[in-house]
Amino acid sequence: MQSSSLYIERNSGLHALHPLTKLALLGLCLVLAFALPDIRWLLAAFGLLLLPLAAWGRILAPFARSGFSIILPFVISLALIQGFFAGGDTALLTLGRFAFTWEGLLAGLTVSARLLVALGGTLLLMLSTRPDHLMLALTERGLPQALGYIVLTALQIFPRFQDRARVILEAQQARGLETQVNLLRRLRLLVPLIGPLILASIVDVEERAMALEARAFSRPGQKTSLISLHDSGFQVLLRTGLLLAALALIVWRLLPLVRA
Amino acid sequence: MITLKHFGYRYPNTEAWALRKISLEIPDGQFVGVVGANGAGKSTLCYALSGFAPHFYRGKTEGRLHLNEVDVLESSLGDLAGEVGLVFQNPFNQISGARYSVREEIAFGLENLGLPPSEIETRVSQVLAQSDLSELAERSPFALSGGQQQRVAIAAIMAMQPSVLVLDEPTSQLDPHGTREVFANLDALTQERAATVVLASHKLEWLAAFCDRVLVLHQGRLVADGEPAQVLADEVLLDYGIGGTRYTLAARAAQQGGLVSAQRALPVTLDQAREFFR
Amino acid sequence: MNGFRKEFSTLTLVLIPVAIAINVAIGQLAITLKLPLYLDSIGTILVGVLVGPWAGAITGFLANVVWTLSGLFPQAIAWAGVAAIIGALAGAFGRAGWVNSWSRAALAGIITGFVAAILSAPIAAYVFGGVTGTGTDAVVAMFRSAGLDALGANLGQGAVSEPLDKAISFVVVWAVMLALPLRFKNRFGNVEE
Repeated sequence: MQSSSLYIERNSGLHALHPLTKLALLGLCLVLAFALPDIRWLLAAFGLLLLPLAAWGRILAPFARSGFSIILPFVISLALIQGFFAGGDTALLTLGRFAFTWEGLLAGLTVSARLLVALGGTLLLMLSTRPDHLMLALTERGLPQALGYIVLTALQIFPRFQDRARVILEAQQARGLETQVNLLRRLRLLVPLIGPLILASIVDVEERAMALEARAFSRPGQKTSLISLHDSGFQVLLRTGLLLAALALIVWRLLPLVRA
Repeated sequence: MITLKHFGYRYPNTEAWALRKISLEIPDGQFVGVVGANGAGKSTLCYALSGFAPHFYRGKTEGRLHLNEVDVLESSLGDLAGEVGLVFQNPFNQISGARYSVREEIAFGLENLGLPPSEIETRVSQVLAQSDLSELAERSPFALSGGQQQRVAIAAIMAMQPSVLVLDEPTSQLDPHGTREVFANLDALTQERAATVVLASHKLEWLAAFCDRVLVLHQGRLVADGEPAQVLADEVLLDYGIGGTRYTLAARAAQQGGLVSAQRALPVTLDQAREFFR
Repeated sequence: MNGFRKEFSTLTLVLIPVAIAINVAIGQLAITLKLPLYLDSIGTILVGVLVGPWAGAITGFLANVVWTLSGLFPQAIAWAGVAAIIGALAGAFGRAGWVNSWSRAALAGIITGFVAAILSAPIAAYVFGGVTGTGTDAVVAMFRSAGLDALGANLGQGAVSEPLDKAISFVVVWAVMLALPLRFKNRFGNVEE
């Protein structure tokens, strides 16, 4: 029933960074993920930059756990699909007319490593930053307040909706919804389940809107914030540095293309 | 001062007026109870006083509705939000959703009013202490029970310090202890800050114990208006489908059974009942 | 921008997170029931039809942001633009009256599904190396084995899954619209009745 996000409360330097600083770090990671030339560089970036940062943030275990469980299906899909279909001469295994090649496997693993670096940057931000602090940082920089409201509210209410769905499902399981093989029949059983779920929640919308109005939500004029995010001159400098590094990487990768 | 003159309201796409020809004046600092059967217009009166009918629901109005110098019918909800507070029955729907702790949830309305953070801090701490919510301050509003959520919802509106506080069945989720606390807090508000409180409820005993005045609605009309001791003891409440306090009902039965002299005024509170049956 | 403003009342703002929660809850339900469908954009389509293209687009986009932030499906953010277009299309079909009958709603869903497939495939092909990290990768592998390249195989996979998924989602929204009180629908006014 609690808010659903990856955030883990810890007393760490990473947690104390301004959300925009961590967002800039994510920006650099995304550029690294797609600009670094090969798998050794990518794994080095992960091992020498992201893992130490996670350790600094005291979130190494959840970082590794989430990272592993999210990246694993990609590694499997990519290794198999690229291994069989990306071509190459060094066949490791042959299945009928399809050869599983070393070159294909490497290509698959390289893409996996790219995704790992991108995912790592995302996880660092999400594990160490409260979603409301992230939204506050963005609203302070001009993101419409309404968008922040939508994201935060959705994050907080959807676990409750999942609970409702689960309750409905459990009530219906006796009727053989899961064991029903025929897809059309399963669908026909599903619709009467989700209909009431949707209708009940939509009817609440009016009262929720009134409650927001009563809290001066649509009052015109400047709004303030109880929480203030800690920022510093050093962090401004750091953010600039991170973004410049990302820019430099892009230029470094694009330069040969321009020359050619 | 709230002034209604021949005020009427009709929801969109309906023929019948939900409120008709209501005229009354509520001076500052009064604690007013509103009673009526389901569909009598209690909620609609609450929405009208807080501007939601017509500014949210649309529909048609007639007559006039003023809050001090402000013409409620000509104002926007944004303007009214700091002036009139509205609390509903369903606690889950009143949690904004955009804040991660009870403290920040209560601050939400104050942030929207644009108050300086130091002032928000002070007001939130005050309200937390007053509403006995201090130990829940850092909890997620979604991790609370319905009753606790409702107390947060009321505290969040109180923190905005509106001059008029309108509550529609605010205690239906609360146990007697929580109900007493809410009524006592509202009572204190009327006395310390001269805030006006209008509270619609089925809990007649509580209204009798705390209100300065009770309004009775029947089919959209204001059919009685006066001190709780008179209004709530009236037999006509039975015809309106409202009933009476348990003390009144017991006392009336005792009178009809000849146990007590028919001359005595019927009680509406526990103290009066004690006197009555002595 | 005028249409944009008109769509964004407080009521719409409150409706959107509820719609996103519906996306997540029913999407997860489809996974639990092992349905070969996503059913994760019913809320988005509903907002589009009920409120309009702008609101539908914002709902779709932010739904994917929420999938990412919640950690349930972090890669979702890469498809946020596609989700926005699905919502916008739902708004356009709703405004044109296509969601007033189930058959035209289904047709609108099929068209939306094809558009979604065409827009999604390059993202899977070029950002994620030709996979999405989900069960549908088996279908992609099938198309690859038939000789298609990464883009072609992902297009093929999308063309198989998306139109059916969106057709069913649109029909569910049609049914919900029928059941919603007129008074409520009138508050938004994308659909003329």
